[in-house]
Amino acid sequence: MKHGRGGRTSSGSGTAGVKQGFYTGRWSYWTLVLPILALIAMFFYIPVALAFFWSLFLERPFGGGSEFVGFQNYDRVLSDPEFWNAMWRTLIFMAIAPTLAIGLSLILALAADRGIRISQAARNIIIWPKAVAGASIGVVFVFIFNPFLGIFAPLNEMYPGIWNPRIDGGDAFATLVVAQVWNGIPFNFIILLSGLQAIPDGLAKAAAMDGSGPWRRIVDLQLPLLTPQLFLTFVLEFVGTVVEAFGLIDTMTQGGPGGATNLLIYKIYVDGFKAYDLSGAATQTALLMMFVIAMVILQFRLERFVKYER
Amino acid sequence: MTGNAIAMEDVRKAYGGNLVIPGLTAEIGGGQFTVILGPSGCGKSTLLNMIAGLERVTSGTIRFGRREVQDLAPKDRGCAMVFQNYALYPHMSVRNNIGYALKVAGVPKEERRKRVDTAAESVGLRGLLDRRPSELSGGQRQRVAVARAIVREPSVLLFDEPLSNLDAKLRHGMRMELTRLHDRIGATSVFVTHDQVEAMTLADKVMLLNNGEIVQYAAPSELYENPATTFVATFIGAPAMNLLAADGEGAGIRLPDGTLLTKTPFRGPVTLGIRPENIEIVPDGIPCRTVYSESLGSHSVIVAALPDGQELRIATPLGRRMTPGEALSVRFMKGAIRLFDPESGKRH
Ligand SMILES: Nc1ncnc2c1ncn2[C@@H]1O[C@H](COP(=O)(O)OP(=O)(O)OP(=O)(O)O)[C@@H](O)[C@H]1O
Ligand SMILES: [Mg+2]
Repeated sequence: MKHGRGGRTSSGSGTAGVKQGFYTGRWSYWTLVLPILALIAMFFYIPVALAFFWSLFLERPFGGGSEFVGFQNYDRVLSDPEFWNAMWRTLIFMAIAPTLAIGLSLILALAADRGIRISQAARNIIIWPKAVAGASIGVVFVFIFNPFLGIFAPLNEMYPGIWNPRIDGGDAFATLVVAQVWNGIPFNFIILLSGLQAIPDGLAKAAAMDGSGPWRRIVDLQLPLLTPQLFLTFVLEFVGTVVEAFGLIDTMTQGGPGGATNLLIYKIYVDGFKAYDLSGAATQTALLMMFVIAMVILQFRLERFVKYER
Repeated sequence: MTGNAIAMEDVRKAYGGNLVIPGLTAEIGGGQFTVILGPSGCGKSTLLNMIAGLERVTSGTIRFGRREVQDLAPKDRGCAMVFQNYALYPHMSVRNNIGYALKVAGVPKEERRKRVDTAAESVGLRGLLDRRPSELSGGQRQRVAVARAIVREPSVLLFDEPLSNLDAKLRHGMRMELTRLHDRIGATSVFVTHDQVEAMTLADKVMLLNNGEIVQYAAPSELYENPATTFVATFIGAPAMNLLAADGEGAGIRLPDGTLLTKTPFRGPVTLGIRPENIEIVPDGIPCRTVYSESLGSHSVIVAALPDGQELRIATPLGRRMTPGEALSVRFMKGAIRLFDPESGKRH
């Protein structure tokens, strides 16, 4: 029986049952949670809080004290067209990469679930890329998309110069998107496939008896019942476009050519660690965080369309 | 309206090399309530799914009336199905669950609403139409499943163990309702179960399957009174029919140790069948000894050992309390004895 499975990943509905869990003592609870909380605090909350704090100061690049300047840094950053360019690229990247990564995973998962019984081997091949770290993927894709050695080399021989991500900004951006999508597919595929397989078999049969063909069943049955998993992948993919993209940019394009792949997350790094504009970097970090938080809140408002019933 | 008759001709089903149904030919009467009965894994669901179109036949033909349907999709066969675990769409309201087939068929909204109301009414679901399946009890869910099946007014209604998730009382109520529903809408009903009580109470005719083959296909009373084989004899009736290894000596039948069981004339080795309720306790009959006895409220069942050690189940009206070890003597009622071939298990 598959009843009562999956589902309750919701922030709201899950909390009630927690206390009745296996760990009754408050103490053992904390020992289990504390290490991860410490890590998150050390590498996320504290840096973010510091970034907000520093964004209000002007820091000298080579040491020698800092000066409280209020919102001057924000003034400076927000009137810099390069910031807006990077923001705009980030937005485009956010719109394209998750859509493709989820869309393709969904197609793969639907196909895999639909009795095109893919062998264990085939499934492994789809999942393996997950074992490759973001930075290594970047290195791999630099080779794959190399204009003279990679898959487009024959194309370049026929039409010289048609594909060159080292010179053409559009090509570079496309390469970045492909790498990001390729990186995201394995995880999304696993989540979506397991979601699909948790839908009881009988439902498809009942719908077939009701006259609903395979395509219609995808729309009327599978997608609505898959919304919890779609929601999860959507949120994670979205955060991934900020977090994981950094490793890819750093190994593949370093933001080039001509800034075409200079997303905000990479710009912050360059500004802070290459140009020593620490205050500017802190300010942009604060802005990026606010933006991401706003988007995530927006996404969780979409959660009311998610159907957790099983 | 009277439903279509279903004619199956040499229907086979194999999963890989595993022949689950090795060639089945039968006709299910139009408008009748037919129960497919059999032990777990005998191919009941497989047969039903082939009728429904959810499984392809490996070979053979299935006809609804004069129409060959074995190659048609489920929706083109004009039949509906009620599933064991309800299979309600969890994300849809009860109304949308029932109306989904109509929606797919493109029935206009207003008519859809009316027909859903009628179907819901007929299974007693008024007032629950806006709930989600998760907010219903098991019995209510089953009603939704039934309403969903009848809303399209199918000519063939299929049920795959629809009552097995319900408790005993609810099951009884639903049995009565299904019978009434069947009489009212007149569709050909095919009902799969492994519960012989359901089969006996619901069916006009019972198709008893074993290993994918029809063992006997007859009215319930016929199955009970004249089982075609020892398999039928033991499958139908609780407690099951007694089957005793015995020898016919021409003028009567004796146990191997010589105890005379009955004066029924027969010659040669035989399996003697007698139902527990057709055994009387009398002063000077076949001697035996009580092994165990249990009271079931309306009657009690005594398990007794015959002189040669074979066990005999006896159903008696209440009031007879036996203690283990107590001697008693019994007689087999006239006309209730059934004789089977010990080799093939077939009825003589
Ligand atoms: N998809 C399948 N692939 C392979 N074998 C199958 C498949 N479906 C059923 N079988 C086999 O076919 C046989 C009959 O199965 P079926 O489900 O028809 O039994 P059943 O009579 O409905 O049993 P139950 O009373 O337990 O529901 C079983 O031996 C089963 O293992
Ligand atoms: Mg079954």
